[in-house]
Amino acid sequence: MSLSPSQTSELHERLEAEYLDALENQTIFIFREAYRRFENLAMLWSIGKDSTAMLWVARKAFFGRVPFPLVHIDTSLKHPVMLTFRDKIAREWKLELLVGQNKEALAGGMGPSKGRFECCTALKTNALQQMIDAHGFKGIFLGIRRDEEGSRAKERVFSPRDRDFQWNFKDQPPELWDQFNTAYGDDTHVRIHPILHWTEMDIWRYIRRERIPVCPLYFSDGTRRYRSLGCVPCNSPFPSTAGTVDEILAELERTSTPERAGRAQDHEKAYMMQKLRSLGYM
Amino acid sequence: MDISAAMPKPPAEPALRIVIVGHVDHGKSTLIGRLFFDTGAIPAERQAEIERTCQAQGRPFELAYLMDALEEEREQNVTIETTQTRFRSSRRGYVIIDAPGHREFLKNMVTGASEADAAILIVDGEEGVREQTRRHAYILSLLGISQVVIAVNKLDRVGFDRGRFDAVTADAVHFLHSIGLTAQFLIPISAREGDNVVRRSERTHWYSGPTILEALDAFSPATLDRLRPPRMPVQDVYRWDDRRRYVGRVESGTLRRGDPVRFLPSGRVSRIRAIERWPDDGVPQASAGTCVGIMLEDEVYVEPGEVMAPLHDCPAAAVEVHASLFWMGREPLEAGRRYGFKIGTADASAEVVAIEERLDPASLELKERYAQKLLESEVGRIVLHLDHPVAADSFELNPKLGRFVLVDQGVVRGGGIVRSLSLADGARPRRVIRLDGRLLADPSGMLVDLRNESGDLELAADETFLARIRAGERIALRFAGMRPFGAFLNWAWEHFVPFSFRREQEGVWVSLGAPEYASLRDHYQDGPGI
Ligand SMILES: Nc1nc2c(ncn2[C@@H]2O[C@H](COP(=O)(O)OP(=O)(O)OP(=O)(O)O)[C@@H](O)[C@H]2O)c(=O)[nH]1
Ligand SMILES: [Mg+2]
Repeated sequence: MSLSPSQTSELHERLEAEYLDALENQTIFIFREAYRRFENLAMLWSIGKDSTAMLWVARKAFFGRVPFPLVHIDTSLKHPVMLTFRDKIAREWKLELLVGQNKEALAGGMGPSKGRFECCTALKTNALQQMIDAHGFKGIFLGIRRDEEGSRAKERVFSPRDRDFQWNFKDQPPELWDQFNTAYGDDTHVRIHPILHWTEMDIWRYIRRERIPVCPLYFSDGTRRYRSLGCVPCNSPFPSTAGTVDEILAELERTSTPERAGRAQDHEKAYMMQKLRSLGYM
Repeated sequence: MDISAAMPKPPAEPALRIVIVGHVDHGKSTLIGRLFFDTGAIPAERQAEIERTCQAQGRPFELAYLMDALEEEREQNVTIETTQTRFRSSRRGYVIIDAPGHREFLKNMVTGASEADAAILIVDGEEGVREQTRRHAYILSLLGISQVVIAVNKLDRVGFDRGRFDAVTADAVHFLHSIGLTAQFLIPISAREGDNVVRRSERTHWYSGPTILEALDAFSPATLDRLRPPRMPVQDVYRWDDRRRYVGRVESGTLRRGDPVRFLPSGRVSRIRAIERWPDDGVPQASAGTCVGIMLEDEVYVEPGEVMAPLHDCPAAAVEVHASLFWMGREPLEAGRRYGFKIGTADASAEVVAIEERLDPASLELKERYAQKLLESEVGRIVLHLDHPVAADSFELNPKLGRFVLVDQGVVRGGGIVRSLSLADGARPRRVIRLDGRLLADPSGMLVDLRNESGDLELAADETFLARIRAGERIALRFAGMRPFGAFLNWAWEHFVPFSFRREQEGVWVSLGAPEYASLRDHYQDGPGI
């Protein structure tokens, strides 16, 4: 017996739906578990595709609302298109948006010319820490994925940071059967990673299925597009003509270049991302 | 029908999760690297990065570095933390889980393995079965992972000698049998050189079974959850939009709109009015794995942690749990202490009333009965008393609601499998302490410490035990109070067991057989003089 083309595509669709549902369900479970266990939560929203897709799942978990604030760390080096997109979505989805910025470092002239490691640490990690301290957040949702980069692949779903913000990756607590570690001391906060198990392809497939709005910078202007969104000086677009989600998916099927190739901070020196992240980078 | 052949392109199937386990340095990470390398799944950039690192270290290309990405891991050439990576064959998608082999990182191995549907157990062909080979296998059996393949690695070092392969596999298979596991395939490989991983090797002409990649494709998805009794642990209750929604994930079976349901342990009863999956506020049913919001026909008061189940097919509301436990805490698990207990979405406080057996999972040696402590990376049979009833199934009936964790100081320290339960209604059952021939294994004698037993006890001894006591073998018992000691008296009376005893400040010492306090006490060093 063989399948007709329409039967084949129906089967494809059903299998893809089951597969994306499984990813989504796991993410919803994590969201609800965090919401149940933590008093004071926030979600880091980078305006990129991952955290926007994650935000979409949060709306599913909480029946259309988002019961915690969204934090955007604005390094002042973000593309204006991102900020327009951010404000539009925040309005339409009725989000509580908190914008964090390390004003002191910016006033002191911090920028990538002072060194990328220093710049990322000051304008992102430290700005996030200031925000967490100011609001007393106990749990922060982050849209990182295992397939992005080696040190992220070693993460737990609920991952504690000590009072100095540090990640003790050499001695992480066990995590099994979705019984997460949620009870830590007062001087720590927990990073919660609801989409740790997704891949870049999964995110795009999900965006396609759910018709999630994403920042226009991901789509080609005819010659170039961004694959990952960061700060203007340290993130470069690459040549591409993919102007729709379908075209992006087709392009990703063909490429072997890693997603963060255009992100300069990853390549500055060996183990750069591990070092940034052990200090509290996302 | 072969679905994959009918497809123009492989579909995005739900992935199968495979954990790679085995003793330290036996080649787990290398095997994963090889799998990626030979299927062209290593991005060029990643390969260049590994080449740079290896050059700087002055060593040949290290396939394991694809998994071992942390600086500390590469410097010490050891996997510290478990990693998951996605991989696809022409048949389906996989999540490949790398587990560390070093004993110190067992908690990370358990973290990785706890998610797996199937496992590849790697054994170094030169070194053979080692301590962590056995320990990991034991953990697989406890986790309920029954699909296992044995890969004998580094055969390049022994000239692909068939005799060596046969000897190592015989050893490994023997151990698996002793813990109730059967290997589906035994595969001779060299992960470093790529023999029988993706490419069939010419150096193992004596072998005609599958390659690693083929063996992966032969695993079947382990999702029987849909066929098990319907259960939804209530994760939370949201009172928004003038509605009361009970949210949770259906862990097994299927729940349908209109089903009459009962909540355990409260016993409250209602009927499902609506199943919500936003933005859809009325799906007809939800099966295992689905996160939903449930609205009921009645305004019943149900708390998070309760389990929703069909009216006549409910889990037990348990207060006493008999379990197998593996302990991952640096501090030992102690009898008599309380720990946090989490099962499904429920929390309770559990007292460890007995560690009935303390076992070394690597040697399968029964180290002690009625032990006071369970050390890091040991396994035990334990009895827990919960401070309030909690809904649970036995692991055999329903794994998702038959496994729990023990929490100490806010952190998960142990994982357990429910063997049996006692219900909340009716009196707490009598605890039966079995005394059998195994207790006499140690020629220097054995102490059965029952100081944590406070309730009703019953002692039961087999004939070998009684015969050997009468023949003069030494065994000591300790009790904390009169009640359990009374149970002992009944038993001794009934079986004509000679004994002598001494009352002390915190309880009673009993010596079965010949009265020889002094040597007994010297042997067990513990407690004031006679
Ligand atoms: N000769 C030979 N060496 C191998 C083979 N497979 C792995 N090795 C080497 O054995 C060493 C250990 O390999 P790993 O893959 O890191 O071992 P592992 O099991 O992941 O070790 P841990 O994760 O630390 O438990 C490395 O130096 C490998 O190059 C093989 O098939 N033949
Ligand atoms: Mg390894």
